[in-house]
Amino acid sequence: MPDWKQYVREHLPPLALGAEREVQIVDEMAQHLEAVYEDALAAELSEQDAFNRAAAHIKDWQLLECELVRSKRPIVAPLINNRLVRESRIQSQSRTGGIVMGSLLLDLRYAARMLMKSKGFTAVAVLSLALGIGANTALFSVIDAVLLKTLPVKKPAELVLFNWLCGPRGLAYGIRGNISPDPASGLRTSTSFSYLTFERFRDNNQTLSDIFAFASLSQLNVNVDGQPEIAGGQLVSGGYYSGLGVQPLLGRTITTDDDQPGASPALVISHRYWQRRFGSDPEVVGKTINVNNVPFTVVGVTPREFFGTLQVGEPADLSIPFSTQPQVTPHESDLNGPWFWWLQIMGRLKPGVTREQAAASFEGVFLEAAHEGWSVAVTRFPPRGESQNPAPRDVPRLRAASGSQGLTELRNSYSQPLTILMAIVGFVLLIACANVANLLLARSASRQKEIAIRLAIGASRGRLIRQLLTESVLLAILGGAIGVLFAYWGKDLLLTLRPWGGGDLVLDMKIDLRVLGFTMAVSLATGLLFGLAPAVRATAVDLTPALKDNSRSVTRGSRSFLSKSLIIAQVAMSLVLLIGAGLFVRTLRNLQNVDIGFNRENLLLFNIDPGLNRYERPQMGQLYQRLTDRLEALPGVRSATLSLIPLLSGRGQTRSVSIQGRASASDDDDTKVNTVGEHFFETMEIPVLMGRSLNSHDDAPAPRVAVVNQTFARKYIGDENPLGRRFGWGPETSGQIEIVGVVRDSKYVDMRTATEATVYLAYRQSVPRFATFIVRTSGDPLTMAGSIRDAVREVDSNLPLFEVTTQSRQADESLTQERLFATLSSFFGLLALLLACIGLYGVMSYGVARRTNEIGIRMAMGATAVRVTRMVMRETMIVVFIGVTIGLGAALAGTRLIASMLFGLLATDPVTIIAAAALMIGVASVAGYLPARRASKVDPMVALRYE
Amino acid sequence: MLNQEVKRGSAEMLILALVEDRPRHGYEIAKLIEQRSEGVLQFHVASLYPLLYRLETRGWIQGRWVEKAGQRRRRYYKLTAAGRKVLTEQRQTWSDFFAALDRVAGVNTA
Repeated sequence: MPDWKQYVREHLPPLALGAEREVQIVDEMAQHLEAVYEDALAAELSEQDAFNRAAAHIKDWQLLECELVRSKRPIVAPLINNRLVRESRIQSQSRTGGIVMGSLLLDLRYAARMLMKSKGFTAVAVLSLALGIGANTALFSVIDAVLLKTLPVKKPAELVLFNWLCGPRGLAYGIRGNISPDPASGLRTSTSFSYLTFERFRDNNQTLSDIFAFASLSQLNVNVDGQPEIAGGQLVSGGYYSGLGVQPLLGRTITTDDDQPGASPALVISHRYWQRRFGSDPEVVGKTINVNNVPFTVVGVTPREFFGTLQVGEPADLSIPFSTQPQVTPHESDLNGPWFWWLQIMGRLKPGVTREQAAASFEGVFLEAAHEGWSVAVTRFPPRGESQNPAPRDVPRLRAASGSQGLTELRNSYSQPLTILMAIVGFVLLIACANVANLLLARSASRQKEIAIRLAIGASRGRLIRQLLTESVLLAILGGAIGVLFAYWGKDLLLTLRPWGGGDLVLDMKIDLRVLGFTMAVSLATGLLFGLAPAVRATAVDLTPALKDNSRSVTRGSRSFLSKSLIIAQVAMSLVLLIGAGLFVRTLRNLQNVDIGFNRENLLLFNIDPGLNRYERPQMGQLYQRLTDRLEALPGVRSATLSLIPLLSGRGQTRSVSIQGRASASDDDDTKVNTVGEHFFETMEIPVLMGRSLNSHDDAPAPRVAVVNQTFARKYIGDENPLGRRFGWGPETSGQIEIVGVVRDSKYVDMRTATEATVYLAYRQSVPRFATFIVRTSGDPLTMAGSIRDAVREVDSNLPLFEVTTQSRQADESLTQERLFATLSSFFGLLALLLACIGLYGVMSYGVARRTNEIGIRMAMGATAVRVTRMVMRETMIVVFIGVTIGLGAALAGTRLIASMLFGLLATDPVTIIAAAALMIGVASVAGYLPARRASKVDPMVALRYE
Repeated sequence: MLNQEVKRGSAEMLILALVEDRPRHGYEIAKLIEQRSEGVLQFHVASLYPLLYRLETRGWIQGRWVEKAGQRRRRYYKLTAAGRKVLTEQRQTWSDFFAALDRVAGVNTA
């Protein structure tokens, strides 16, 4: 006779009615079917027919399950109606979707009910997961935009970007662009080539279907309808857009016809610039605008997502053909020279050609052009002094890298800070996972009886694990959904905070499918990660004791081992984050307390670039003089001056110095140089310690003079009197410049770098092509910006001011990354600490509750409250100390990775480490003390009765 | 076989009526309905038990596990006081309904 109970159990989906009720229902139905079966046999049917007759009684088990569940609900009219609708929908879905989908939906529905049942648990779990997943999603969207995205062009994988690898004495007479050390060979590598090389490549091309070149033009003076403004741009060769496969949004792109000498100047603007400067005017095509005083016709607008091929976040607002370069930047006549390497060459591989083959096919042409350029340079700039017998040059080697991302040097430099942040938020997510896993473990303990009954009535273990995992994955997906919301707010915040440590990047950053895919994957992975262990553990039940009333002792040992391991991991990870946070906070504090050597308050800075307006050097000097005079005449201005490079801007000029009468110490003769106006030291409030400051008599006809800082005097002159000593920029010219004053040390490039030897030159003696004006005001400098702008316009109405800021903001901005790391790592460190302590508290409280009986016996036998407290505390502290020990080890290993980002302390800074460990132990003790105290308050009589 | 709607509407009353005089178990109820209706009304497990549970949840019948000597443990349902009231009401309603049908459509229920 068939086992009808087994038959019902196998077919009936799990009911959300409580296990005991379920057993009864199964029992009753099985009996009914059995009776039908027996009657059929009695009526002399065959066993098979009898079985079929009984089985025909229940055809649709899912429907039955719904009916049963519904039949046990309390009667609340609207609720029933809603549920009816919902359930009938689920039914029809499960019918059409087959058994797997159907039961998955049932699992989901059941999981949702279980989560609704314990709202507090669900809220805590979802929130901590949302924080973890949100932080990861936001950061991933930044990383995706900065590091991972490929160019939005046709088949980016086919693009190659050429670069070369060379020793220190290459064949380029001048290079513009990034030169970076190649980690593999120790040689230098760069993507800059001469225009001659590009022409030769273009004319000798066999392996590429397209070849084109481009070069950055960082600052252009763009005059639209009489309004001058600075914009960034690039030079492109005629084949640039067709080679990339970029179609214009409006008008047309630049073609080879535009890139011919004598062609009428045409330019293409970016979508961003079109919006910002032209208000998305559809009539912009055909308009004439002035770029560095050259009239250009706007011929097209590029698509919104295309920012050009320059460094990430460096958008090319305007793209102009190479043929117009001599008109647009006539002062850069070097660019046409075959010795000057400054543009980037890209190509598209023909089908079947590899990058290596492409590089090999151009190697000969490349070397020929390089040698040709060098020989032209040698004739044009004959070597001076000792370099009569030039050492042999290093021969560069041509390579072809993937061009799918455009220029990548800047991306690479952003990757370290972003990776560190990703590691931090990854840690936070892991801690959140551990926490939720622990919550689930505690909960599964309370569901043990239910699970045991399900197993007893025949649910397979796999089926139960699936159900439990469905619950945890549902939790994670809820967390992920809220996390995306957090990320949506967080990403704008991140864009403002600029965690990569660079300038204001223009990024195509949105929560797109890639990012959502990442979030989805992270959510599912976390759901499985924190759900699997508790699910496996919960279903590994020894049925006999579990079904008895007292289920407390079941799987106790391994469960508490697992949850304690999770706590240890949490403590260790939190400690690592806390130590990292401490190091970053102290770095920021150290940097903020650095003596910068000048008064940063009440200084307004702005830049002008008269070179773009075709000023020649002598006129520039006069312009600077007129501007300074005009500014100083403004009410509210105490003094005004200028410098070639603003202080604490991250930039600086370095030259090799030769001191007259001193043997050249060739290994370290670098000095920082800045060209400054009169009153520079007075305006910046840098004290002149010896001699005099620079003044208006230090002009072109006068003997060349300089003011140096203390470090310079100490390093190159020693104890002697520096006044009257002479130096120059090479051994032959070492008597050229006389030192007339010594000023106090002050910071120049940034706050991090120790003060370097610095020379200040008079601007009338070496007129800079562009300058930063510095205005000291008596009140808030920003309120003066308007009148200062007007004053500049009075002097030259076609001269744009740009990068208007204050010196203190400039100083602040130079610490953006440090501040961000200190803030974010503190936030996440404290979050981790909080999560770990919640976990610790939860586990210890659970442990105490479980041991109420035992504690009662101990107290009845004479243990004092203090002893009980100590016993529980000891257990807590063992867990904490193991975690702290592991965390310290991990921190010592891990913080080396951030050593380069620290300032004024070591990665193993004992103060930070001890403080973090003490904080961890202190907070953990509080979290552990509360359950311990509860244990000591146990009334032995109650505890003994408590079974 | 009667159509579903009529059957469903009347099923509650049928069950209440069957447990009116004495407690019965599910299989007995199903069999009695089939026998007394001479096979016109048939209840399968899938429709009977949810209905029983629903009546029980509403407090109209009450189920109890009973073990009789020589028999297996079975669940017997008996009519509660509330159930008795509902049954009286339903009998009245159905009686009125049939009388109305008779008057309008000439359906002879006698």
